[in-house]
Amino acid sequence: MDISRRDFMQIAAALGLVTVANGCATTVPGRNPAAIGAKDLYNFNATGKVTLLHMCDLHAHIKPLYWREPSTLISAPNLVGTPGFLCGESFSKHYGLEPSSLDAYFDTHMDFEALAKKFGKMGGIAHMKTLIDEIKRQRGAENVMFLDSGDTWQGTGVALKTRGEAIVKAQNYLGVDVMVGHWEFTYGKERVQELIGKLDAKFISQNVVGDDPFADEYEELIFEPYTIEERGGAKIGIIGQSFPFTSTANPKEFTQGWSFGLRLETLQEYVNELRKEHKVDCVVVLSHDGFSVDQEVARKVHGIDFILSGHTHDPSPKPITINGTAIVIAGSHGKYIGRLDIDIQDHKVKGYEYKLIPIASNIIPADPAGVKLVNELYAPFDKEFNEVLGQTKGTLYKRDTFHSTFDQLINDAIMDEMTCDISFTPGYRWGTTVLAGDDILMDNVYEMCGITYPNVYTFELQGKRIAQLLEDIADNVFNANPLYQQGGDMSRLGGVTYSITVGAKAGERISKLMIGGKPLDPNKTYIVSSWGGNLQSAGENLQEDKIRAIYDVTRDYIRRKKVVDVSNTGNVTLLDYDCGCPAKGGGC
Amino acid sequence: MKRRSFLRGLGLAAAASTVVVPSMVMAAEAPKGPNAFSIDAAVQAITGGKPVVASPKVHLKAPEIAENGAVVPVTIEVDSPMTEDDYVKAIHVFATKNSNVRCADVMLTPANGKAMLATRVKLGTSQDVMALIETSKGEFLSASQNVKVTIGGCG
Repeated sequence: MDISRRDFMQIAAALGLVTVANGCATTVPGRNPAAIGAKDLYNFNATGKVTLLHMCDLHAHIKPLYWREPSTLISAPNLVGTPGFLCGESFSKHYGLEPSSLDAYFDTHMDFEALAKKFGKMGGIAHMKTLIDEIKRQRGAENVMFLDSGDTWQGTGVALKTRGEAIVKAQNYLGVDVMVGHWEFTYGKERVQELIGKLDAKFISQNVVGDDPFADEYEELIFEPYTIEERGGAKIGIIGQSFPFTSTANPKEFTQGWSFGLRLETLQEYVNELRKEHKVDCVVVLSHDGFSVDQEVARKVHGIDFILSGHTHDPSPKPITINGTAIVIAGSHGKYIGRLDIDIQDHKVKGYEYKLIPIASNIIPADPAGVKLVNELYAPFDKEFNEVLGQTKGTLYKRDTFHSTFDQLINDAIMDEMTCDISFTPGYRWGTTVLAGDDILMDNVYEMCGITYPNVYTFELQGKRIAQLLEDIADNVFNANPLYQQGGDMSRLGGVTYSITVGAKAGERISKLMIGGKPLDPNKTYIVSSWGGNLQSAGENLQEDKIRAIYDVTRDYIRRKKVVDVSNTGNVTLLDYDCGCPAKGGGC
Repeated sequence: MKRRSFLRGLGLAAAASTVVVPSMVMAAEAPKGPNAFSIDAAVQAITGGKPVVASPKVHLKAPEIAENGAVVPVTIEVDSPMTEDDYVKAIHVFATKNSNVRCADVMLTPANGKAMLATRVKLGTSQDVMALIETSKGEFLSASQNVKVTIGGCG
């Protein structure tokens, strides 16, 4: 199977992009932006008649952005260094990336600042559309289907202010055919239904079921579980899998009366139904389970040809195959579109080709209609979003397992305003990157924390409860069984340092827990500020007069500081690994 | 109702086994009352000390991660012909780490046709949910699954 890396090598060779340095011949595929054309990105070893295009976790980034991949991605010892838990050096080695190439820039954090200057911003719907149109031209529009694994409607100011509607318009413009959801649900279930009414695509999910015994929809499916589409003369069954842990990862009130979960038994039943009753030629699961969870799904559910995964934001240049099921995932923030060509013969999948195509906005030209649409959608908010709040000395980024600079900035802002002992902020994986020396715009603040439950709560928690909660969160992140993980990173903490042994038993991972430089006192009551989670429900004596939206708290702090200088020294000491991106077996 | 049927079940188990162990347990822990049994004592009160075998015939369905610890849906189905000579007599549901480990006790007869129970249990913390099955042949079968109860909060 051909992948983009190899394509690049071949193109580079074909174009004679071989330089001689110090007497050694070195191929430099994709190192020089001027030498890469859109054609190189479009280049594909076409196969069969059907093409599925895949995007996941756009997080409402309809404009191009910078997005730095993680420099720490730690998991349980049995999972570390496997697809889903690869970053930086281990990612580069696993997929054979050429250092400093366009792919290295898109897929890893390595040399990010320098490469960002060289290659420019990533994603943007106007650039995605140009690529999609080109593929439809090559393959025939009637043979192409565009699938969206969700986390699409939420993540930027324009999404928040229009309660998702701007992004539905963007999806309709892009021509999305089918989608599933996760953060979509944080607009509340009524709004979700309203937006589905405006969406051209089908919204499917086999794992969302009514659980209010007094409602008509009790024990009934809320959405169609699957859809059958014809492309290139083949019948393709697509089963939807929304995020199984929506009601624990996000506030319950948004989806009161709906129950989620993996629901693998019914997933198996729908696979069988599509194959036996509807005689489909190919079964696809469009999923927001997360990359590692979907590897478990492929082990447990039989008869799926492809899982198009999402949620964990992994760029995976190569599909992985488990139990006859090929699993792909296409990064996040609109940085990539996955192209999957399927060769279907005699009602069976005979072969396929896959390529994760980077949406390099300086290489793939923008579609003028897309630029116009984005400008129209942003126009009502330009004044607020374009306010320059201040500048940053170092690069502000979000991600990593324990700590990242933009999270630290937000924690600094909370600690400064709330005068608390500890701040907790969520370990979700979406946000933005602001390069060193650049202006911080209000738009960037919304990109980091534009959620529908933005309140910062300040309350009291006993020391032993804090320790217990941290262990609980660590078990959600580091459980050895992917089915018990929720696919996020550790909560970010201000005012706290600790050591962690990821491979230890649940409840025994965290040690040397210090608050304000002193060991945690289990019997002492601490003042805690938290947003984006549910911790306030575990606390006491909520200070109601201090409740304020996180984007306002952060905005005011940056305005006060004018230039922010956030340290990239983490507050967590990792005891069982020597680096942030260990390879399989834990070696660095 | 469930409580009453449990007590009856407990009485039956004690009577049927005609072993003094349960009453001894009762006596030793009398001040705590029957709701304060540890998981081992509660199981013993039902089995009378007979071995419990984890069995693939017992299908226990519960979520990996509870959406709401107060109402966790649990379904138990047992492969059994449910005939006069071979049927499931009782399905007991335990929350192994609750302060009261016993959740439900359901007595069945061949007339039920199917050995199946769907209910909701309250879980105080992450723990194993266990189904204990008593067959008409006097065997005790079981199945367990870990259910995580978490405050959640990461997206």
